Amino acid sequence: MNPNRRELFGAVLGLAAAARMKGSDDGVTIPGKRPMILHNDRPEDLETPLQYFDSYLTPVDAFFVRQHLPRPAPIDPAAYRLTITGMVSKSVQLTPEDLRKLPQFTVTATLECTGNGRVFYTPKLPGIQWGRGAVGNAEWRGPRLSDVLKLAGIDAKAEFLEIVGADTGLASTPDFVRSMPMQKALHPATLLALSMNRETPDIHGFPVRLIVPGWDGTSWVKWVTCLTPAARMSSGFFMNPAYRYPKYGLPPGTAARPAELEVIEGMPVKSTITAPVDQGKLPLAAVAIRGFAWAGENAIERVEISTDGGSLWHDAQLPSPKLPFAWRLWRFDWRPQAPGYYTILSRATDTAGRVQPFVPAWNPSGYLWNGVDRVGVTVEGAA
Amino acid sequence: MIRGLFLPACALATLALAAGQATDQATVERGRKEEGRACLPCHSLRLIHSQRLSRAAWNKELDKMAGWGTKMQDRDALMEYLVANFGDDKPVTPPAMSVDGTGKK
Repeated sequence: MNPNRRELFGAVLGLAAAARMKGSDDGVTIPGKRPMILHNDRPEDLETPLQYFDSYLTPVDAFFVRQHLPRPAPIDPAAYRLTITGMVSKSVQLTPEDLRKLPQFTVTATLECTGNGRVFYTPKLPGIQWGRGAVGNAEWRGPRLSDVLKLAGIDAKAEFLEIVGADTGLASTPDFVRSMPMQKALHPATLLALSMNRETPDIHGFPVRLIVPGWDGTSWVKWVTCLTPAARMSSGFFMNPAYRYPKYGLPPGTAARPAELEVIEGMPVKSTITAPVDQGKLPLAAVAIRGFAWAGENAIERVEISTDGGSLWHDAQLPSPKLPFAWRLWRFDWRPQAPGYYTILSRATDTAGRVQPFVPAWNPSGYLWNGVDRVGVTVEGAA
Repeated sequence: MIRGLFLPACALATLALAAGQATDQATVERGRKEEGRACLPCHSLRLIHSQRLSRAAWNKELDKMAGWGTKMQDRDALMEYLVANFGDDKPVTPPAMSVDGTGKK
């Protein structure tokens, strides 16, 4: 964690928030979305401002968006077909109705972009300069992927599942193709979602989106059109070299050996402070410090808060259920005793005993930032 | 005599520096145009302008884009433009906010 950089970025986001209050200077509207932090508009890379994170489920109109490739033309559900081919007993083509006839399940899961927090790494890294808001929590509903695959009959020797989305690359940009071990594909929480928060937003990959609870957002393929059980992992760009993480720690700013990069799967333990606002001013009175915490495939066990830069820690309240895959909201009621500047920190621990670090490991693509979160506030005395 | 030699040398150096800056500025301007021509067909420019990278990192990005089919007519100028405006020594600018697209009041 680089305090100067954190403070600088906090100030930058503060300016962005101020700009929001005045209205955007760019005039870009994303249909269906509230004002969002606009990292890119073609294709859309939209970050959720922290002030929207005030509920357990993140509303669709505030949910972050990460597109690698241009969004495909909206898919007419009547014309949609899901193809299952490869190492199967029989190739099949399924309609949305076929998917709706299967038993339907709801999974509450936190979706986070693999590069969320990249802006906090030093040295700087290429890629979308996400702050804290490339994350959201939603109810995803649809059939289990395992039930869908049974309709084609999977060869027992198929150890991986290749997933193709409808988005295609421009020029020679590779198409968005991902691959995951069959064991995770057959996990009962892995769904082919037909809705999120009971909506079917095209911008989030519907009519059919893959839900891989606890794994990085890149695994959650949007607009799924083809599933292919295979003996080996796919070798396309979005599996290699992209979305890999060094097996061994690297000195910041250095390259990894390609053979020592591993595919990212489960996400780390993490917490984020949503209130009070970084670099904001507070009256000398009781204040609720709030936020959320999540831990990939695990559940959150504990969140601790410090209001003195890390000398003393206090347990936060955790009113949300303790579940794998989903975040827990947390809250700490604080009554500052004197005016002055305070550094507030949050630190999460998960059910596997993983603890959020002060210094996340720098890595060449800026993935998996999970440093202890930090905001600074000035408590003002009585006038 | 020494003084007489020094002044012209100093003046020449100043002229050379001015000429160099003019050339650099012209190159950077060519790079700006190349950015629009080469990059805009696939994505908007925020993706570029939000980043602050070293010359080596920008070079790698341009290699990646060339590998993905970007046709660059003036790669050197594009490189100078990127380093001059979005180098890792340049201050970060806040991302813009989109306009409300929910249709709600």
